[in-house]
Amino acid sequence: MSDSPTTYAAVKHFHKVVPAFTPYVPVGLLSYLAFILLTATFGLAFYFTTLSKSTIPTREAMVAIVASALGGFGVVALFCSVGVCV
Amino acid sequence: MVLPSWLRLPAILFATISWSLVSASTHSFENTAIVRTVDLGGSLVHVTTTYAIRALDNGVNRYIVSLGENEARSTSWFEAKLKGQNEPLSVTTRPLDPTSDGTHSYVVELPKPLSVNGTVNLVVETVLTHATYPWPKKAAQKDDQSLKYEGDLLVLSPYKTWTQRIKVRAPAPRIISYTTPDSLDEFTTDQVATKSGATVTYGPFSNIPPSASTAFIGKHQRHVVVHYYFGHPVVEIASLKRVAEISHWGANLNIQNDIVLRNAGPTLKGQFARIEHQSQTFYNRLAPHIIPSLTFHLPPGIHSAYYYDLNGNVSTSRLRVAPSVPKAAQSNQYSTLELRPRYPLMGGWNYTFALGWDSPLADSAGYDASTGFYVLGVPVQTVIPGAVVNEAEVKIIFPEGATDIGVFPPFDPTTEQRSTHITYLDTIGRPAVTLSFKNLTDKHDGLIYVTYKVPLSVHLRKPKAVSIAFGALFLVALLARRVDLSLSK
Repeated sequence: MSDSPTTYAAVKHFHKVVPAFTPYVPVGLLSYLAFILLTATFGLAFYFTTLSKSTIPTREAMVAIVASALGGFGVVALFCSVGVCV
Repeated sequence: MVLPSWLRLPAILFATISWSLVSASTHSFENTAIVRTVDLGGSLVHVTTTYAIRALDNGVNRYIVSLGENEARSTSWFEAKLKGQNEPLSVTTRPLDPTSDGTHSYVVELPKPLSVNGTVNLVVETVLTHATYPWPKKAAQKDDQSLKYEGDLLVLSPYKTWTQRIKVRAPAPRIISYTTPDSLDEFTTDQVATKSGATVTYGPFSNIPPSASTAFIGKHQRHVVVHYYFGHPVVEIASLKRVAEISHWGANLNIQNDIVLRNAGPTLKGQFARIEHQSQTFYNRLAPHIIPSLTFHLPPGIHSAYYYDLNGNVSTSRLRVAPSVPKAAQSNQYSTLELRPRYPLMGGWNYTFALGWDSPLADSAGYDASTGFYVLGVPVQTVIPGAVVNEAEVKIIFPEGATDIGVFPPFDPTTEQRSTHITYLDTIGRPAVTLSFKNLTDKHDGLIYVTYKVPLSVHLRKPKAVSIAFGALFLVALLARRVDLSLSK
C-alpha cells in the first residue's frame, strides 16, 4: 500500500499521469472470440460423446479439460459481447 | 459520545486552552470592508462574501469566518479563495460549541502569513440549500410562481468590521416585498434597505464590533425575508442512488442512477387540466412552476443509454453523444440527454425513474504497471444547474477479487460502507464501497477517485469458475456413459 497515493491531490495527479486502461482482449474481438471458442467447445463436446469407453478415461478426460477451458473463456466472452459486462 | 471519567478532566482542560487560544486570536485581524451578495435562485441560493482583511499582528495566517446557526445549517458548500486566484484555500470547520458563541467557525488558512497592516481580499463562496420556499404555497396551473427567501442579515465575524454591505439579488427585477429591518441606528444613519431593479441593498453598516457572540446576535442580528417572482421550475432531487460497476473483461464502466425527482415549487391548486396544459404548450407559454422536461449533461463517449421507470421503458428522450475524450483530459465536451418524464411535473409532484449508460473504461480508468494499481474516477452526480440533491448514495462495485481498495471522495461523505455485491458469474462476490452524501448542490461536481489491485490470477477467476462448471458437466457425462440402463441384455 505504500505505493498508492494517500491524498486527494495525489490520486488526482496519479489518475492523470498513468496510462489508460487496456483490457487483455480488445473489446471488438470479444464477439468473434466468443463464437470461435464456443463452437470449439461444442465440437469437442460432440467428439467427447463419440469416444470409446475405456477403463482409464485418459482421452475423454483430456478432451473434457480442453473443452471446459475453452468453454470458460467462451462464456465470459459471450456475456461481454451481449452487453452483460462481467 | 460519552467520555470515560479518566478522560473528562484532560478534555475540559484541552478545550479551555484551545478555546482561549482562539479567543486571543480575535484581535489578530480586522475587516476593513465586507460585501455580501446573495444570489437568489430556486432550490439553491449562492452567497458570495468578500472580506477585505487587515492584519493587526505579525505572522498571522489563520482567519476565522463565522456563520450563524441558521446559516450554517443551510450551508452545503463552503469555499474560500483569494480574490483573483482560482486555487481554493484550506478550510477546517469547528463544530458548533453549545456553550460558546452561537456561531460555526470556519478556519481559513491563508497561503502566506501577513505582517502587521498587511491586507488581503478573501472571497468566500457558499451555497445554501432549502433556504427558500414557495409562497403562496399553492398555485393553480396557470398561476405565476413566487418564492420567499429567509435569512439572517448581518455578516458575523469574530473581528471588528469597519463597514459591511449586503446585497440580495433576485434573478429578475420582480421583487414583491422585502423586509426593512429596524433598530439598527447604532450602525447606520442612512436608509437601511434600498431596492434598485433586481437588487435589494442593505447598509452600509459601520463600526460593528466583533459580532460572533450570542450577545450580539441576540441584540443586533435581524431576520430578513425577500419575496420574489421566480420564472423557472424549482427542481429538487429527493434521492439519487448511483451505482458504478467496473468490468475489466468488458472494459466497461456502467453507471446507473435511480432518481426520485420532485417539483419543489408551489403545490398544484385544484385538478390537473390536460386541455390547459395542451394550450400552454401549443402557445409556448408554460407556467414557470411546471417541469415538462429535463436536460442532462452526460459524459462524452457513452453508449447503450437506458431510461425506464416503474411502468417500463420511457421512449420520450433524445440523446446526442459527444465523441470519447481521453482520460483526465480537461475537456468541456458532454453528451446531451433531453428527457421528458411520462407526465409533466406540477408543483409537489414526484417522478421516479432509472437512467443508466455504459462508457469505455479507458475514458475513466488507468493502470500503473509498476505498482499494479488501477485508478478510476467516478463523478459523484450528474449536475442539474440550480437543483439540490437531498440525499445521494454512490456505490462503486469493483471487479471480483479486487484488493488494496482506496477511496478518495472530493468532499466528506456522511457515511462510508464496505459490502460485497454478487452478480453474474461471481463466486466470492465483488467488493463494493457505498458513500452517502446530503444536500448536494451544483458545486458538488467532483470525481470520486478509487484505487485497487486486480492481478492476472484474480482476473482468471471467472473463466476458471465457468470451466469448472463445464468440467463438472463433462464428469457427469463421463460417469453417465458408463451406467447401463438397458432393460434386457
